[in-house]
Amino acid sequence: MSGPLILGIETSCDETGVAVLEGMKVRSSVLASQVDLHARFGGVVPEVAARAHVEAIRPLVHQALTMAGVHPDELDAVAVTQGPGLVGALMVGYSFAKALAYSLGKPLYGIDHMEGHLFAPRLSFARYEPPAVVVLASGGHSQIVHVKGWGDYEVLGGTIDDAAGEAFDKLARFMGLGYPGGPAIDKDAVDGDPEAISFPRALRDRPYDFSFSGLKTSVVTYLEKAKKDGTLPPRADVSASIQEAIIDVLVAKTFNAVEATGVEVVGGGGGVLANSRLRKRLAEEADARGVGLFVPEPALCTDNGAMIASVASYRMERGQPGDPLTGDVLPGLRLGS
Amino acid sequence: MNILSIETSTPASSVAIGIDGSVTGMSVNVDRRGHVGFLMPAIDFCFARAGWKPRDIDIVAVDIGPGPYTGLRSGIATAQAFAAAVGAPMVTVSSLTVIAVRAATGRRRIWPVVDMRRGQFAIAPFRPLPGGVAPDGSPEVVSPEYFKALLESEGSDSLVVGDWEAMPDATWTGLHKVRKGRPRYPSAETILEIAARKASKGMVTDADNIRPTYMREPDVQINWSTFRSEGAWPS
Ligand SMILES: [Zn+2]
Repeated sequence: MSGPLILGIETSCDETGVAVLEGMKVRSSVLASQVDLHARFGGVVPEVAARAHVEAIRPLVHQALTMAGVHPDELDAVAVTQGPGLVGALMVGYSFAKALAYSLGKPLYGIDHMEGHLFAPRLSFARYEPPAVVVLASGGHSQIVHVKGWGDYEVLGGTIDDAAGEAFDKLARFMGLGYPGGPAIDKDAVDGDPEAISFPRALRDRPYDFSFSGLKTSVVTYLEKAKKDGTLPPRADVSASIQEAIIDVLVAKTFNAVEATGVEVVGGGGGVLANSRLRKRLAEEADARGVGLFVPEPALCTDNGAMIASVASYRMERGQPGDPLTGDVLPGLRLGS
Repeated sequence: MNILSIETSTPASSVAIGIDGSVTGMSVNVDRRGHVGFLMPAIDFCFARAGWKPRDIDIVAVDIGPGPYTGLRSGIATAQAFAAAVGAPMVTVSSLTVIAVRAATGRRRIWPVVDMRRGQFAIAPFRPLPGGVAPDGSPEVVSPEYFKALLESEGSDSLVVGDWEAMPDATWTGLHKVRKGRPRYPSAETILEIAARKASKGMVTDADNIRPTYMREPDVQINWSTFRSEGAWPS
């Protein structure tokens, strides 16, 4: 056997994710996505999310174990997202995981969701090791993290207003492209010219921080004026230009951090890292500088149970004990603090 | 038949273990925010006192609401995981029934009340029977004013139990046939008794089939002034 068998459960936002890991090998990983439930609201509704988790979790755990060919008694530990996230959503997964671990007589590992994203590239790349700079971008979070060692993280910067995924969602909604916005704009931008319109790139003077509210205003103003003047470009050009503005900022800030820290390893996580153009731009930039880029497959970039189990797997192999029974969810958990 | 019962539908959460409806261990906590941190240590405490292991449990019983707190789901998720891990069937009970059973005395029609917050209350009428209660109408979520009108239209004497203290005092003025009583909250001890009866009649279910009783739609606030639906591309 190549490592402990760990069940990982993730319910911090709008995806119920469950996976079985053997060491760092994914034996199974299943997901109940709530995208359709939230689409009509254009964003995640906390009570809707919590209701969906409680319906999905028990069948998903069963499915993940069955697909992995693992009997619950064979598990070595249960890992679960403890925070940050929506409190009602976190409570479902955490309560379930705690009771499961207790009644199976196995240790429980409560995991920081963001640390899960930092670990996720390990599931795809054996060579991904700190020190590294990792860009985390999703609908709920956008950060540049200096991973000095496992468990030793410094958040160098992040968004001062909307998360990158949130900016995609809001702009896609404004353009009538549907929800979630990232994949919708990515798809629409394929035939567009990313240089057609020059939208602003904010906070040039702050090396690791981003802001997307100015971009939002600028897009709305631009479209309203262009419509009035009859100079509206093809929609694909607008999508491509919006996408480029968001990506430019993420790429620039990431490599600012690479330069400042001198690391030779760059990682990525969060749903926005599934964006094909961002992946391409990061790869080009990493190549040009001769540093290694480790962005896992899209299914491991978005929220999933495997990344949660991977942190526990690391801890367990180093003999770190599980959590006490008295633990509670930590909705406001912050990386590195 | 060894039973574990879990109650988290109101600010008072509790767990109990027992044999065939008689309680051997119980733990209670009144703190509407503390459900998650309370449950497993409380269960562990009961087990340790009784010398039981999780696998000794034959039935897992849980209150499935109605209840206003996100804590309700933590109790249900805990019960589901426990049942799944030890392969035990489950029994579900309604919070309104649990409150009514404890109040079952005399001949008055029983109206349990659960505070759903934001001025709304879950209620349901029950008829007292020797050794229990029987539902005597459907549960509803109502305002105190509506509840008052309902009680006024009642021909018979009524007993209101549960969290009626959360209703305004004006609710009770002029209601001469209405008495108010206890308990205020449902308890795991009562769930255990109900579960023993239901399980002996084969009224058990699988962990996959458990759903909370919400009785109202989720709160969704859409800002329609800034919300633009699909197809808003200005062409
Ligand atoms: Zn995430």
